[in-house]
Amino acid sequence: MPLAPRPRPVHPIASSKVINPAPESSDALVESDLPGPYPVGAYAAQLKRRLREFARVQLVGEVWGVRAGRARVYFELRDARGALPCSMWRSDFERLGVTLSDGLRLVVGGGCDYYPGSATSSPSFSFAVSELRVAGEGDLLLQLERLRRQLAAEGLFEPQKRLPRPLLPRTIGVVTGERGKARDDVLAGLRRRGWGGRLVWAFAPVQDRHAAPRIAAALRELAAIPEVEVVIVARGGGSLADLFAFCDEALCRTVALLRVPVVSSVGHHTDRTLLDDVAAVSCSTPTHAAEAAVPVDCRAARAEASAFARRLRDHARRSILVRARALGHLSRAPAEHVARHRQALHQQLRELRASARRACAEGRSLASVHLRVLSRGATRAATSEQARRRAELEQLALALTAHDPERTLSRGYALVEDAEGKPVTSAARARAAAEVAIRFHDGRVRARVSG
Amino acid sequence: MSEERTYESAVARIEEIIRRLDSGEAGLRETLALVQEGRDLVEYCASELEAVSQGLQELRLEELVARLEGAGAPAPAEEGEQP
Repeated sequence: MPLAPRPRPVHPIASSKVINPAPESSDALVESDLPGPYPVGAYAAQLKRRLREFARVQLVGEVWGVRAGRARVYFELRDARGALPCSMWRSDFERLGVTLSDGLRLVVGGGCDYYPGSATSSPSFSFAVSELRVAGEGDLLLQLERLRRQLAAEGLFEPQKRLPRPLLPRTIGVVTGERGKARDDVLAGLRRRGWGGRLVWAFAPVQDRHAAPRIAAALRELAAIPEVEVVIVARGGGSLADLFAFCDEALCRTVALLRVPVVSSVGHHTDRTLLDDVAAVSCSTPTHAAEAAVPVDCRAARAEASAFARRLRDHARRSILVRARALGHLSRAPAEHVARHRQALHQQLRELRASARRACAEGRSLASVHLRVLSRGATRAATSEQARRRAELEQLALALTAHDPERTLSRGYALVEDAEGKPVTSAARARAAAEVAIRFHDGRVRARVSG
Repeated sequence: MSEERTYESAVARIEEIIRRLDSGEAGLRETLALVQEGRDLVEYCASELEAVSQGLQELRLEELVARLEGAGAPAPAEEGEQP
């Protein structure tokens, strides 16, 4: 054991010159030959000083009962033979960024310390830890964290996530253990998607710490096949230690630079592997990984495709129907227009006729009124005029009668006419005519002119 | 489309076409052209879906590599396996 100076609790302190005040001899135990009594606080302070003189060492053990106080974190370090209460400044502990769980093996560095307490607080002994790291598995987790930070800083988590992932890959590569539940889970996931394409199995050990190079080789070979569009890396169950194959730096660098997207399902819920970080997608189970590799539900996609086809057909039909209807409407419009006009014309014609008839009737009645008025007027005017005219006529008739040749003839005169009935008014003309007619009042006789 | 046709690009384009048709803004000529393009794409998608509906075909990587190498060789040993 490296704990060099064994504590000797009484004698070194008793013999110390520092203890002050001196023992109160009046209170001393009469029958005891031990020195003292000394005030306990002085003794406690001495104890603290002596404990701090112990050599500072590293201890290894399992951590138990971690609890955080205001300023310090307390826990016990145990092994089969014993235990030690430990404490650490809380700020130092938090700077380490580790989570302690019961049973975790720790390596701590520090030395003994003693809190002497006071009149109102209890004293306590603890191993004051100034350095701490997780041993074994925990150690690996720290290394892993460092590597994760390094790969992240190099940007190696990004390239896979930038790769386009096909919705409907025809060929999928799977890296998994040949005997394991993961294989069946992958198949179940693919079946759930209704996917029935080509699956290329690349079997590799996945539980072995030294499996990483085999996994990397399988991934490279799958990526070299042009038909492979996406690769699943699946691992079903296993302990934390088994995960370290998937944290291999070379494997992670291989995956980061692969041309095909990798879907991983290797990590636990709590412990992500580096492969999960580097991969395009990381899933909690191989079944989910299979579903992530085929993002489309094939059955739903088939239904969707026929729905698309139906909608396209409906659109085509509707677009033509709507336009045909519009055209029909347009083509009917002129005929309707003409019909409307014709009807209007008919109406106007009817109105015209009616109004003509009305006008005629009105005119006729007006005319008859006028006629009556006129005839009345005419009658009135004509009566006086007629009387006058009659008188005139009678006079003229009288005059005429006076001049009527017939009357002259009846008085014994005769009228000589030529052959044409014209009066012969001279002897010369009578001689020239040679034959004449002599008209008496009662008839005519022919006469020959002889001298 | 100038780029290589993929299932996802086809589905995206169909959705775009349907949106355009649903908007009712496309004229007759455009509508008919879009419908024709959409039909082609739907047919393509259907054929892609058909390709992964043939039933799961499982291969081992070593077999596939051997087959690919065999296909390149002048006298393949396997019979009835050649495409």
